[in-house]
Amino acid sequence: MSFLGQNIRVDLGRRAILHGVDFCAKAGELTAIVGPNGSGKSTLLRALCGEMAFSGRVAINGRDAAALKGWELAGMRAVLPQAATLAFPFTVIEVIRLGLTAGVSAGCASLPLRALEAVGLAGYGGRFYQELSGGEAQRVQLARVLTQVWEPVAHGMPRWLLLDEPVSSLDIGHQLMVMQLMRDYAARGGGVIAVMHDLNLTAMFADAVSMVHRGEIAACGTPAEVLTDATLSHAYRCNLRVNCEPPQGGTWLLPHTATL
Amino acid sequence: MTLAAYDESGVADLPDRTVVARRLTLWLGLLLLATMTGSLATGAASTSLWAAFGDLAQGRALSRVDETILWNIRLPRTLLGALVGAALAVSGAMMQGLFRNPLADPGLVGVSAGAGLGAIAAIVLGAMLPAGLMASVGTYLVPLAAFAGGWVTTLVLYRVSTRGGRTSVATMLLAGIALGALAGAVSGLLVYAADDQQLRDLTFWGLGSLAGATWGKLMAAAPIILLALLGAPFLARGLNALALGEAAAGHLGIPVQRIKNLTVLAVAAATGAAVAVSGGIGFVGIVVPHLLRLASGPDHKTLLPNAALLGASLLLGADMISRTVIAPAELPIGIVTAILGAPVFLWILLRRRMVVDL
Repeated sequence: MSFLGQNIRVDLGRRAILHGVDFCAKAGELTAIVGPNGSGKSTLLRALCGEMAFSGRVAINGRDAAALKGWELAGMRAVLPQAATLAFPFTVIEVIRLGLTAGVSAGCASLPLRALEAVGLAGYGGRFYQELSGGEAQRVQLARVLTQVWEPVAHGMPRWLLLDEPVSSLDIGHQLMVMQLMRDYAARGGGVIAVMHDLNLTAMFADAVSMVHRGEIAACGTPAEVLTDATLSHAYRCNLRVNCEPPQGGTWLLPHTATL
Repeated sequence: MTLAAYDESGVADLPDRTVVARRLTLWLGLLLLATMTGSLATGAASTSLWAAFGDLAQGRALSRVDETILWNIRLPRTLLGALVGAALAVSGAMMQGLFRNPLADPGLVGVSAGAGLGAIAAIVLGAMLPAGLMASVGTYLVPLAAFAGGWVTTLVLYRVSTRGGRTSVATMLLAGIALGALAGAVSGLLVYAADDQQLRDLTFWGLGSLAGATWGKLMAAAPIILLALLGAPFLARGLNALALGEAAAGHLGIPVQRIKNLTVLAVAAATGAAVAVSGGIGFVGIVVPHLLRLASGPDHKTLLPNAALLGASLLLGADMISRTVIAPAELPIGIVTAILGAPVFLWILLRRRMVVDL
């Protein structure tokens, strides 16, 4: 079972953002989409989730996404936006309950609290969403998204998490926690597709990586295959070297050494 | 009234607001019953509702005068007031949900201005109609024209802001302000052309009043308003999801475009009908949803029915004041709602800093 994008092309005005990109993510894996700013990685995710007009074809678990109704899609995949705003003073638990609106987990009243606990915000249910810090708000949105597709497999079919920079405003401890959450979701049979900026976390947690550069897939494969000196240096336009200690002392820190 | 009590760890122990809102529905229902009874019992005439009840209970017939006052004057007025109040409050709540903005109001997107233009045109230009036609449409000309004005404005607004089957809410807001200004300018031109008697009619119509309530007007407005009110709860889930933004609502499986279409339709119908029978009554659409959001949260599933109940009670209360304050004359109800509504509105804005963003 897979999440497939074939020949995805997105034009914004006269400019082509994506020039016929092929993308594939497998269920049971965490697939990262990486690339420099403005490369089109978020656009690719937005095309995959149907938020943006595109030409080409998207298929989820072998079914053409264009032929699926909104509520059917909502039962198969949940989408975490990059920046989420909220109108009106909803409390945290009320926001997460919105995730129950759709999907096969609809109506399971205890899910929002379990999702809140999963993102490390147990006890925050009664707070106002607008009072939260950026990182807390991002995790509340993640909890809402998790609530929508709580079981990684439903009716024998994998379900999908599409996440646009899920750890961008989190501290390193919560980054590790959320990455582990995504891994677990994949390990239990679901599929996770995440746009990532942090290459260390990508190397640590991703099973597959697609590197987007100038609207095309520059490389795809395992992290070891994609995150190479040549590919990275070319895409990010600076001289990068993997697995290399800093030349002169100083302090440096990698998430790899942390234990949760 | 504080919304959340925090213990020392900073964790709120907020009661489930769904329960609070449901309990509130019950109280607001009782409040509406009380204000409806009060509205039937008060008026310029000395007829007593209680004496009439007593007479009926003992099998005595009502006097002609009492029957006319209660049945033909007060009852349609009470029912119309309740319907108009509910329509204005629910329209406001739906519009705010659609625009994701607590300050949105049918007045803001030009629907009320369009309806107003229709009414003014009818008052000023109605005299030019052939006498025969005038005799047949007669008293219904102004409400009909107001309703048509509101509808046409909404259709134009919708046409301007919809491209390729997608409605841009931001464009709609801006286009609404432009259309409202245009309708206001044309109304101004008509006012310029009006004679003294027409000017007086215009002014009173613009301030709003329930004084002209008849069974005929009630029967004309009731089906439209009731349809919009009864349909509103079906939009609640969609409006809740829209708070996350259109894209996120779509990912939750909400048919966003259909929700937008139906909301605009319901608001145009309810506002058009309300303005048509009662003129320009302000502040109900903004103040009522605000107060309810403060009391029991922004969930539209309970907000919409509660807004209908509180809006109806509020308007009936304002109407009772307008009828009794300078009796036997009447104060236009728009003045009462503005005098009561504006300070409440300011108070809400001042409170904002203490609680959270509305």
